[in-house]
Amino acid sequence: MEASQLLQNLLNGLAIGSVYAIFALGYTLVFSILGIINFAHGAVFTLGAYFTYTLVVGQFENNGLLKGVNLFPQGSPLSGNPWAFALATLVGAVIAGFVAVLIERLAFRPMRARGADPLLALVSSLGVALVIVNLIQLLVGAEIYNFPSDAYGEVRPALSFQIGDRVVIVRTVQIIIFAVSLAMLAVLGYVIGRTKVGKALRAVAESPGTASLLGISVDRFILITFFLSGFLGGLAGTLVGTAFGVAGPYFGVTYGLKGLAVIVLGGLGSIPGAVVGGLVIGLAEAFVPADYSAYKDAVAFALLFVILLVRPQGLLGRTQIQKV
Amino acid sequence: MGDFLAQYGFLIVTMVQAGLLGLSLYFPLQAGQLSLASPGFYAVGGYVAAILLTNPAFAGLRESLGNGMFPLTWLAAALICGLLGLVVGIPALRLRGIYLALATIAFVEILRVVSLNLGVTGGAIGIFGIPQAFGFQDRWQYIFLFGPLLILILLFAWQLERSRVGRAFRAIREDELAADAMGVPPTRYKVLAFVIGAVLAGIVGAMSAPFLNTWNAKQGTFDASIAILAFVLIGGSRNIWGPVVGGALLTAVPELLRFLADWRLVINGLVLVVASLYLPQGIVGALQGVRRPPPPRRPPSVPVVVEAKGGTP
Repeated sequence: MEASQLLQNLLNGLAIGSVYAIFALGYTLVFSILGIINFAHGAVFTLGAYFTYTLVVGQFENNGLLKGVNLFPQGSPLSGNPWAFALATLVGAVIAGFVAVLIERLAFRPMRARGADPLLALVSSLGVALVIVNLIQLLVGAEIYNFPSDAYGEVRPALSFQIGDRVVIVRTVQIIIFAVSLAMLAVLGYVIGRTKVGKALRAVAESPGTASLLGISVDRFILITFFLSGFLGGLAGTLVGTAFGVAGPYFGVTYGLKGLAVIVLGGLGSIPGAVVGGLVIGLAEAFVPADYSAYKDAVAFALLFVILLVRPQGLLGRTQIQKV
Repeated sequence: MGDFLAQYGFLIVTMVQAGLLGLSLYFPLQAGQLSLASPGFYAVGGYVAAILLTNPAFAGLRESLGNGMFPLTWLAAALICGLLGLVVGIPALRLRGIYLALATIAFVEILRVVSLNLGVTGGAIGIFGIPQAFGFQDRWQYIFLFGPLLILILLFAWQLERSRVGRAFRAIREDELAADAMGVPPTRYKVLAFVIGAVLAGIVGAMSAPFLNTWNAKQGTFDASIAILAFVLIGGSRNIWGPVVGGALLTAVPELLRFLADWRLVINGLVLVVASLYLPQGIVGALQGVRRPPPPRRPPSVPVVVEAKGGTP
């Protein structure tokens, strides 16, 4: 591989890998607190993209119940310039966060209260995913939407430079994705590592019973976790929608599954693990040779399978001690 | 009767087929292994049958065997899935709980991507025009294949539960370490349970390929894994009737809700949420619970009597 190709793959891999990372962080946060995998996370990812789309465009042409509805007759206040789009992205992610909170209240909390089998929580979260994806289809149609990919003001590459006789191109959107992901990781790392809220969250993750004895409202912190998880998932949805220019009801399914590969690769429940896992899988996919690009979607799962066999606790996970 | 079969025959056969797939996940679960690999083996079994029944390479074999070709496809699917089950099962069964579930999801996804890209599996279009088994004229006649298979598997499962192997499965499910300490080799039995499930899913796939007439990569997906898991958990995971009842009911629900038109898939999701909330033991478990209350989980605590020693403090 030439140096220019190498660099191009590296940059593409870092951009997509950082989206995987923030998406997977949402999974891993919920897993570290509740010990379950929230399969509705992929659906929240899709919702994030749709909320942003609604805020920016405000009308739906596809065949759904909302066909012909126009939310902003004078044009959306959140479109037109990159800053407005950034605000719409943020608001979309916040709404996705509230949806995740709602999911917790309706599907997970009643189950916890009954002390039900964690496997049932899995089925329940899948039921929720089914409801969300089909509601989207009903309301705004099953077709794929053209996402405003020029939302950040320019379609031309932000950076392009020549190495040898090839041009390496970095798209604006890729830089934004990478920067936003890094910023999210820094903020999250600070909140969880340094603040009182983070300390309480870690206590709940360690042992809900003990945390509750120490005066921590476990239910409240679970809600906070779900909000953060939904926020990160929704944000990732908009970022991916913007990067690829499309969004559809089944848009989150692949990401939902790849997110699983990411968190297992890094170590279930580990926050740095999700970041490392996301970057590893993003880079591995970017380096799949063009001749084998049809197999790209299998890369994450092949890595997942291998890591489970070699090091089941993941790259950065802690070894669990088997209790007798 | 003819009208009824013409209208509901396909659904009834699909319900039985779903019950069988539920059972294929139930066997590993018996030994405490949450494996979501069933759709993978189902897809492989279907591809084996579809290739044997349509590929020009086997034309001579088909000519000489005639209808005997169909049992051969079942046998081939069972053998191939059994071997594949061994190859995947031995390394994968070192994993526990959610890790095994994730590894089997990865297995299903890898199979899906590979079958989408191979020439022999027909790529994205898949294989179509699969001849009908034994020259069946109507779809409902497949009940003559799936029905006996279901009865056979139920008898097998019933016998298995009462056998030494079945007791070993249960011992491993309840406590793997304790079972190991008592001289029950967990790995051997876990692999056995996994392979039984794989073989069953493979045979169901081989029977389904002619039933559906076409076979493609959509047959074995993550969605199918979850649907089958839901069959078992909603039906009841501790009784052989659970997967059968769950598979039949959850297959019928979207059909029964047909009058809701576009809303039925939304309602289907709600059914999963509500059922997992209110029927933690599954439907069969709940029905059993009415007749016979479950034994208390913990022995009643014995009051600790502290004998006073000596005189007054």
